[in-house]
Amino acid sequence: MIPRWAKRLFHQATIGDQSYRFMFEKGPPNEFVAVDCETTGLDVKKDEIITIAAVRIRGNRILTSERFVKLARPESDMAADAIKVHHLRQVDVESGQRLYNIWPEFLHFVGGRPLVGYFLEFDVAMIDRNVLRFIGIEMPNPLIEVSKLYYELKYGDAPPGTHCDLTFRAIMKDLGLPALAQHDAFNDALMTAMMFVALRDMKQRGARIERQRDRPRFDMAH
Amino acid sequence: MPAVFDVSQSPFDRLEATEIEFLQDATDIEYYAPGATVLAAGQATEFLCIVLKGAVEERDGEELVSIFGPRDVFDSRSLVQGAATRSFVAREETLLYQIARDAVLKIVSKNDRFGAFFYLDISRKLSEMAHEEEEARFGSLMRSHVRDLFVHPAHFINSSDTIETAGHKMRDINSNALFVRDGERVGVITGMNLSKAVVLNRMSIDDPVRTVTHFDIVSLSPDDFVFSALLMMTKHNKRRVAVKDGDKFVGIVEDIDVLSFLAGNSQLVAGRIDRAAGIADLSAAANDIEAQVRRLRRQGVKADVIAEIVSDLNRRLFARTFEFTAHPDLRERSCLIVMGSEGRGEQTMRTDQDNGLILSEPVPEPMLNEFRESFTAALESFGFPPCPGNVMVRNPFWSRPLSEFVADFRSWVALPTPDAHMNVAIFYDADAVAGRSELLTEAKTALINTVRGERAYLAHFARAIDAFPTPIGFFRNLITSEGAGDALDLKKGGVFPIVHGVRSLALEHGLMETGTDQRILRLGETNVLKPEFARELSQAFRYFTSLRLDSQITQTPGASGTLTKPAELSSMDRELLRDAFGVVKQFRDIIRRHFNLAMF
Repeated sequence: MIPRWAKRLFHQATIGDQSYRFMFEKGPPNEFVAVDCETTGLDVKKDEIITIAAVRIRGNRILTSERFVKLARPESDMAADAIKVHHLRQVDVESGQRLYNIWPEFLHFVGGRPLVGYFLEFDVAMIDRNVLRFIGIEMPNPLIEVSKLYYELKYGDAPPGTHCDLTFRAIMKDLGLPALAQHDAFNDALMTAMMFVALRDMKQRGARIERQRDRPRFDMAH
Repeated sequence: MPAVFDVSQSPFDRLEATEIEFLQDATDIEYYAPGATVLAAGQATEFLCIVLKGAVEERDGEELVSIFGPRDVFDSRSLVQGAATRSFVAREETLLYQIARDAVLKIVSKNDRFGAFFYLDISRKLSEMAHEEEEARFGSLMRSHVRDLFVHPAHFINSSDTIETAGHKMRDINSNALFVRDGERVGVITGMNLSKAVVLNRMSIDDPVRTVTHFDIVSLSPDDFVFSALLMMTKHNKRRVAVKDGDKFVGIVEDIDVLSFLAGNSQLVAGRIDRAAGIADLSAAANDIEAQVRRLRRQGVKADVIAEIVSDLNRRLFARTFEFTAHPDLRERSCLIVMGSEGRGEQTMRTDQDNGLILSEPVPEPMLNEFRESFTAALESFGFPPCPGNVMVRNPFWSRPLSEFVADFRSWVALPTPDAHMNVAIFYDADAVAGRSELLTEAKTALINTVRGERAYLAHFARAIDAFPTPIGFFRNLITSEGAGDALDLKKGGVFPIVHGVRSLALEHGLMETGTDQRILRLGETNVLKPEFARELSQAFRYFTSLRLDSQITQTPGASGTLTKPAELSSMDRELLRDAFGVVKQFRDIIRRHFNLAMF
């Protein structure tokens, strides 16, 4: 496995389309992009993106008014299993754009800003495969994994052997965030953005997330 | 198009689909850390805010005006006027939808129904504000009825009875006014009327009272409001008003009764206890205590003051009962103590008995046994149910010589079982009620010396603060207890952790205070707790106590009042409750660190 920083340098040198040089420049200070994809399946090599949603974060502000949401028309047919997850049928995606039409706009939307996501590695791998094909680079952006932030704040000081629950649900529950309908790329990106601003603030303030402990017994009758 | 904010809520439900889309495209979400300013007073308002999560305070200078929770919309007033007159501050971690002002105003001008919401909202808020102030100032007067007052029972004499008879009667019934029957008419005669007749008009004490009786009496019904009694007295320049139920005179209200009602009149009950001639008199006075609590609370007296009054009255009651039931020989050789919450003086409603007796030396068994039974039974007859844990003088374990108590302390500390912890906790909270109080002081000093420096024991003892979770999550939402519907347990989640944490610190530092509030004060003074935090803790504690008292009063008599339904609280109370739980959470962290509870 080649490290991301090495790939980044390589792609910076070999980028085919010079008009995408801006991807290697630093984004505006304190700006981030939360991103989420819905795909036809979980195989990074074979499956395809159906929807991609991204929302910019400026400081503590989630810029939903400037969101990026695209429905793509996959090259191959939709698998039945995937339809069950995101409720997008073949007919629904027929109206989507061809993927290669999406990427220029997506890359301009993201620019050099760090990407924020949940299980981001998967989304980035899906995006990289496409972007590499169309523009000849992989996403050079710094990556911020919200489950990692969450882990630090909750389990960072846990004794070894503590059971860790890093599911999306667990994070939402601990942060008390309102659950929007999941498996909608925009909602997922938005919830991820909310997690990010809340977790980042907690980290800055030195707050922690409490873990459930065994509780001693005490008779309170008096 | 993904929905950004909930469009089914008012006023957005009045919008067309295209208008919703237009607004949603102008919507961002902003996160605010606790204490961050959303809108500053005097600043141009750029957004209409909808609370997504968390809470926002509206402040007028230093004063808290209102609190906005999830789905609440603000600030329509400044959005229309352009600039905020008040400041809006995040009370906790908060997420807000913010819709750009221009977009909202555009829809306001296009959609009349949507616009109406804004203008209505503004006028409603203005009138609510005026109303609240009035309510706070005159609340108790406006809501209380004449029946809630102390009404002197009606006593009648005939108009042909003499001035002397009237005077004697007044003395006998301990009242300064009598009803006078004169054929069909009824009048009132007062002590002052009698004196004036004899002294100033040189009438004989054998003259009938008819000529000095006032027949122009002013009366009202028990259902009338207290304020009408006050108005009537002022209007007719009378110091007394007759109370008439239908066409029957039932009593007299004096101006002093109205005044003492407004100021609280617990001294009346105290007087009854002190004057009691036997157990039967005490029983009647005991019933007054509970009525007193309701009355004081309705008048807006603070819960901690009520607790103080009630515990004072209860102790007088116990002390008198002790006098009536204990042999003088026993009284000379013992100290009657109350324990647990009764000892801390934090009892607002009548609850289980928690009492004991410390003897200076062994006494004859029959004498002691007789007292054990009769004291516990007397209290039971007053409506104090027996303690389910049997912490009562009836139980020989809690009524024995000092030396035996002291010997037990060592085993309680050496073998820290949950029962032993409980014994230490309730005994440490004990307070002397009657008899030789130095016996309790000696016992407590022994207890404190036994635990001094026992770090491991103290940690074990303090650990009970983790017995129940604080019902509060991130974004400080209240977590209602499982199995209790949507109710919250104030005792488990709030009162208990404070009481026990404070008790643990107090025990460690050998404080002799018993009340949680006094202990917090001392811990603050001695810097065991940061003075600022001590103040917050004390406020939180008082807040829980007052909420508990309110729910005790509204529930059926005898209910514990530990459960409260956040949904039934005003949004202000809900927020204060969250604040208080937040303090509890902080306090538990302090206790955990202090006693190094992470090792468990």
